[in-house]
Amino acid sequence: MSDIFNIFVRSVFIDNMVFAYFLGMCSYLAVSKDVKTAFGLGLAVSFVLAVTVPVNYLMDKYLLQAGALSWLGERFAAVDLSFLSLILFIAVIAGIVQLLEMVMERYLPALYMALGIFLPLIAVNCAILGGSLFMQEKNFPTVIHSFSYALGSGLGWLLAIVAFAAIRERLKFSNIPVPLRGNGIAYIITGLLGIGFMAFLGI
Amino acid sequence: MKKYLGPLSKDNPILVQTLGVCSALAVTAQMKPAVVMALSVTVVCAFSNLIISLLRNTIPPRIRIIVQLLVVSFFVILVDQLLQAMLYDVSKILSVFVGLIITNCIIMGRLEAFALSHKPIPSLMDGMMNGLGYGLVLVVVAFFRELLGSGTLWNHPVVPASWYAAGYMNNGLMILPPMALILVGVLIWAKNSLTS
Amino acid sequence: MKSYSNTYMFLYVSALVVIIAVVLSLVSLGLRPRREANVQAEKALQILKASGYAHVERAQAIVAFDSLAEKESSRSDGEMYRIRCADGSTGHVIPLQGKGLWGAIWGYAVLSDDLTTIKGVSFAHKSETPGLGAKITEEAFECSFEGKKLYDADGHFVSVKVVPKGKGEAIAEKNRVDAISGATITSRGVDKMLADGFQRIKE
Repeated sequence: MSDIFNIFVRSVFIDNMVFAYFLGMCSYLAVSKDVKTAFGLGLAVSFVLAVTVPVNYLMDKYLLQAGALSWLGERFAAVDLSFLSLILFIAVIAGIVQLLEMVMERYLPALYMALGIFLPLIAVNCAILGGSLFMQEKNFPTVIHSFSYALGSGLGWLLAIVAFAAIRERLKFSNIPVPLRGNGIAYIITGLLGIGFMAFLGI
Repeated sequence: MKKYLGPLSKDNPILVQTLGVCSALAVTAQMKPAVVMALSVTVVCAFSNLIISLLRNTIPPRIRIIVQLLVVSFFVILVDQLLQAMLYDVSKILSVFVGLIITNCIIMGRLEAFALSHKPIPSLMDGMMNGLGYGLVLVVVAFFRELLGSGTLWNHPVVPASWYAAGYMNNGLMILPPMALILVGVLIWAKNSLTS
Repeated sequence: MKSYSNTYMFLYVSALVVIIAVVLSLVSLGLRPRREANVQAEKALQILKASGYAHVERAQAIVAFDSLAEKESSRSDGEMYRIRCADGSTGHVIPLQGKGLWGAIWGYAVLSDDLTTIKGVSFAHKSETPGLGAKITEEAFECSFEGKKLYDADGHFVSVKVVPKGKGEAIAEKNRVDAISGATITSRGVDKMLADGFQRIKE
């Protein structure tokens, strides 16, 4: 139980998707102009991560890994399909995002109005695919661990983009050297935030 | 020829369009993985541009994203397998970041913006140049991080031992991930100051 | 804009998937021997390095290893070998596995025939910070283990401790090495990995 909680805390603060691995930077930079939209996108990313990573975990465990097909019978025990994992993961992600979009539109129109516009963006957000790939690399023992990791990473990403958007709102009023305005200062701030987050190392 | 050179400076994908930073900066602590990553992205970008451009009149628009993802992941897996077989050392360092080339927004962006509406040869060129423009930034960032952070280039020591004796120290901060972002910020600053 | 039937789209994607899967399977099968040879050579190189053979070409690693080493026993965490070291003596190769700051670390230790003295070590890591944690693979760190003892003056098992410079006076010189400054967690990981590995040998 405690290691599940550990994984969660670790993935929010220490292995933060944005600050430690620079994942999902494109949408992070593009959609952080104001806090409200940033929060919406952050929620959508957390949601999609929490759904896709466990699904991909099961895919990996029962379909792709060396020996994963042994449940089909002895003859399949030696099959190693792990070279196909990239393609399958991305297909699962694209499929689930599409599915979520349709389900939300039909049954949860309010939520759809809030998150819907972000969903298509998310299929190509590297944080989502990154979540699945790191999950594969970390070799979690159960699907619960992978869920905890996914939720933590998603919330970490949410935290990063909201913090950054809040800073950006203030930045509008500050006097920045002209060539540095826009992207330049955005990168530098992200870097400084990242250094701040490094203080969590070793928890 | 000139119209293809834009991505190297004026329309640089990282510095101007802020695309594709995601999978990249984590591999810039040293020159060697950065160069391999840059080449991998260039190859994937160029060839998926070519293939999508060849297929452009047969792809149904509604499923074009899926088709693009399939083609890109095909090349990425190919590159990944080749790296594991030929450049084992580097493939260990790059680990999952090779896989993340798939979601590199530069590649998807060029497929959408260029390959779907242009002939094969210009698409190949466009993909290659964008890949190189992206690689250029990676290599420059890696150059400074390795030189200042470890005192080496391409794993060869370049800072003379006498400097260390005189009290020079490697800047450990340069090695840490956030410094890559700050360096890119400084590069943008420098580029904007020069071009405006 | 041309419109496409659902059947066309379905067939289109299916055909694409089949072509891609077939080509990738062929490539993967074709390259498999090389990939596996790389993994084997890597392991052989590491063990040879720990035994004092500093500069072996990757291409010759497996041949050299096979002529020098002989398998003693297999365990869940790897195989033990008996090896003829560069200085002409023989030693036991102990596999080590542990966790660093970002991911797995592993390595091999070569112990003297009576299993009390370290003759050499070599470490490897998945993703430690270059210039900090990654220094565990550098010669300076690995060499500092040479000649260290697993037992203290009274004959009690203490493993070899990795302690920050200047903080280990309580431990005898022959039982400790200096940790890497700035890489506390990785150094602790090495410390624990050695303790675990040697503990099992003792038993």
